Amino acid sequence: MSTEEMVRTHGAPPTVVTRARRALSSLDRRFLPVLGTLLTLALMLGIGQQRYSTDRVDFVSMKLLSNLLVDNSYLLVLAVGMTFVILTGGIDLSVGAVVALVGLSIAEMFTAGLPLPVVLVVAVLIGTSCGLLIGVMVQVFDIQPFIASLAVMFLARGLANVISVNSLKIDDEGFSALAAWGLKFGEGRQLWRINASMLIAMAVLLIAFLVLHYTRFGRSVYGLGAGDGGAAVNLMGLRPARTRVWVYVISGTCAGIAGVLFALYTKSGFNLTGVGMELDAIAAVVIGGTLLSGGVGFVLGTGAGVLVYGLIQVLIAREGLESWWTRVFIGVVLLAFVILQRVLAVRRH
Amino acid sequence: MTPTTPAPAPAASRGAAVWREVTHHGLFWPLLALVLLILACGAASPGFLDVTVRDGHLFGQIVDLLRNSATPLLLALGMCLVIATGGIDLSVGAVMAIALAVSLTYLDNAADPRAVPTVLTAIVLGLAVGALGGAFNGAMVAGLGIQPFIATMILMVAGRGIAMLITKGQITTVTSPPFKTIGSGFFLGVPTPVVIAIAAFVIVVVVVRRTALGMFLESIGINREASRLAGVRARRTTWTVYVIAGVLAALAGLVYGAPTMAADANNIGLMKELDAIMVVVLGGTKLDGGRFYLGGLLVGAMLLSTLERAVIIFQLPSQTTPLFKALVLIAVCVAASPTLRAMLRGRRRADREDTPAAPVETTNAAEVTA
Repeated sequence: MSTEEMVRTHGAPPTVVTRARRALSSLDRRFLPVLGTLLTLALMLGIGQQRYSTDRVDFVSMKLLSNLLVDNSYLLVLAVGMTFVILTGGIDLSVGAVVALVGLSIAEMFTAGLPLPVVLVVAVLIGTSCGLLIGVMVQVFDIQPFIASLAVMFLARGLANVISVNSLKIDDEGFSALAAWGLKFGEGRQLWRINASMLIAMAVLLIAFLVLHYTRFGRSVYGLGAGDGGAAVNLMGLRPARTRVWVYVISGTCAGIAGVLFALYTKSGFNLTGVGMELDAIAAVVIGGTLLSGGVGFVLGTGAGVLVYGLIQVLIAREGLESWWTRVFIGVVLLAFVILQRVLAVRRH
Repeated sequence: MTPTTPAPAPAASRGAAVWREVTHHGLFWPLLALVLLILACGAASPGFLDVTVRDGHLFGQIVDLLRNSATPLLLALGMCLVIATGGIDLSVGAVMAIALAVSLTYLDNAADPRAVPTVLTAIVLGLAVGALGGAFNGAMVAGLGIQPFIATMILMVAGRGIAMLITKGQITTVTSPPFKTIGSGFFLGVPTPVVIAIAAFVIVVVVVRRTALGMFLESIGINREASRLAGVRARRTTWTVYVIAGVLAALAGLVYGAPTMAADANNIGLMKELDAIMVVVLGGTKLDGGRFYLGGLLVGAMLLSTLERAVIIFQLPSQTTPLFKALVLIAVCVAASPTLRAMLRGRRRADREDTPAAPVETTNAAEVTA
């Protein structure tokens, strides 16, 4: 028993409040924003459980979780990619347009008679090349991430419009089979399922987690967001330039994967898909506790952010409110989190 | 990276020095693009450059171009001031929608939508709402110190929902000739949107360049803390700039929506913030803040609407417009980038991985001293 513990045990018995405060102060500051996310999530689930549970079915259930993941798997993948970019202090506005471009490309490639594996690989590579283009513009030509990704957003949207301005149906057998594949658990109202999109999204999240926290590359990503333009990363012997290009390639690739998932979800491609989707992704990342100035955040927090985001929509639908309330509520939640971030940042200084 | 100071040149290369100075001007590439584009349009469509007078009003494709430039110019005007302080305003599109929704809803509920006082009240209400939106952005940025990008994104996300709440999810349509005039009328033969945009431009230029405000904006954009220590009321000035941007966005919304008199909360001003940012960038203002060219906005706004027009003239599907916007944007940005110039001069910059990164901050400081 250390002296400190001796003192503590011999002192007055700590009240719940002081104990909680002590636990909070012993917690790494970096976890505070994510803690806010988890509290929000718990609060929303509590409200849902309170208001929408019936005698026979609980609101908080595996069914809810599986529905959230199925409906938001593409957003999860987008947000994971966006987390990398935002951690370096950058931004990627092109992802929504890339999703549209990928969806239409998939439809067009199937019409041209390409086999399923080729289509999927090319679809993801379209996203990768869009990301590479942004990365090169940002790193080599010193163009702000905001404007570089804006240009690629216009580019992808324009190309999507060139392919088609009508909704194209995707009716390939293999693709439909992939979309329909799933494991079902439970019966009747307790039914929940696991499908391909969900597994892909979870795999992307897991890989991102491992890369960010257990690799040199991950350290470089956090280092770039430190606000010294990569000087520290450089001094550590890591590679700032390469990393800065790579985060956009990762974000683009994630957008490509998300495009495939969205195509699986809707079984069609449409040029107006994903207008504002980049903002949904950014919002999920911010709600998930990543600081927009870069350097602080967790990709698992982003996962929680996506759940909060999806839950807002579920609660609004359950409440019977019109869908535009979603935008207002997301704005309010975003506002709350940004102010929370700000308060924490002030405390830190 | 120091600003390019040409080596002492022999007399023979003075022409080259002048040429370099001209091509290095921020407006060189956009202006060149604009001239080439207008010439190309003129070649493809013989009557393109003709301007005729009908009923005392100016008509012609060039006049239409000017009319179409009005909205992006109004938006870019506010955006440019915000960017000068090192900020960005993503909410302008949503503010356009809210302002129009408020104005038309008021007109719709008024006893006589045609009465001039009613119309004036509607306009003032719309502008006031814009000011309110701007004040909210300003409070977030200047008051709470939140990054402008995310602060204005909140209104961008929520704003469209708010506009939908105001119109109750409907597309509100009203008939009111006096209100319609601000979008499709003429003043001394010139389309009203053009008159409004130019008037706003002149007022902003006079206020910013004839008073110390412009200098304050630039000093805040370069170093907020230093300018505050030097006695600039950074907080109040920043706040004011967001309010101005909000009012201009609201004005743009009214002008944009007046010809159809339909408040479509979902679509009015959609992606217009990006057009506005593009106009600012095309106009030679860098997004880093600290230096801005209002004159460039005229070129930028014209370039944007000429581009939109050219797509139609060359009989390309109008949906391909974003593609060309992207190509122009990329071309202008890359052409203006120091890296490309260094490459062209054959002095390829050493691999950045070896040099202790010469990133944004350093570049900024170098430009400031220029």
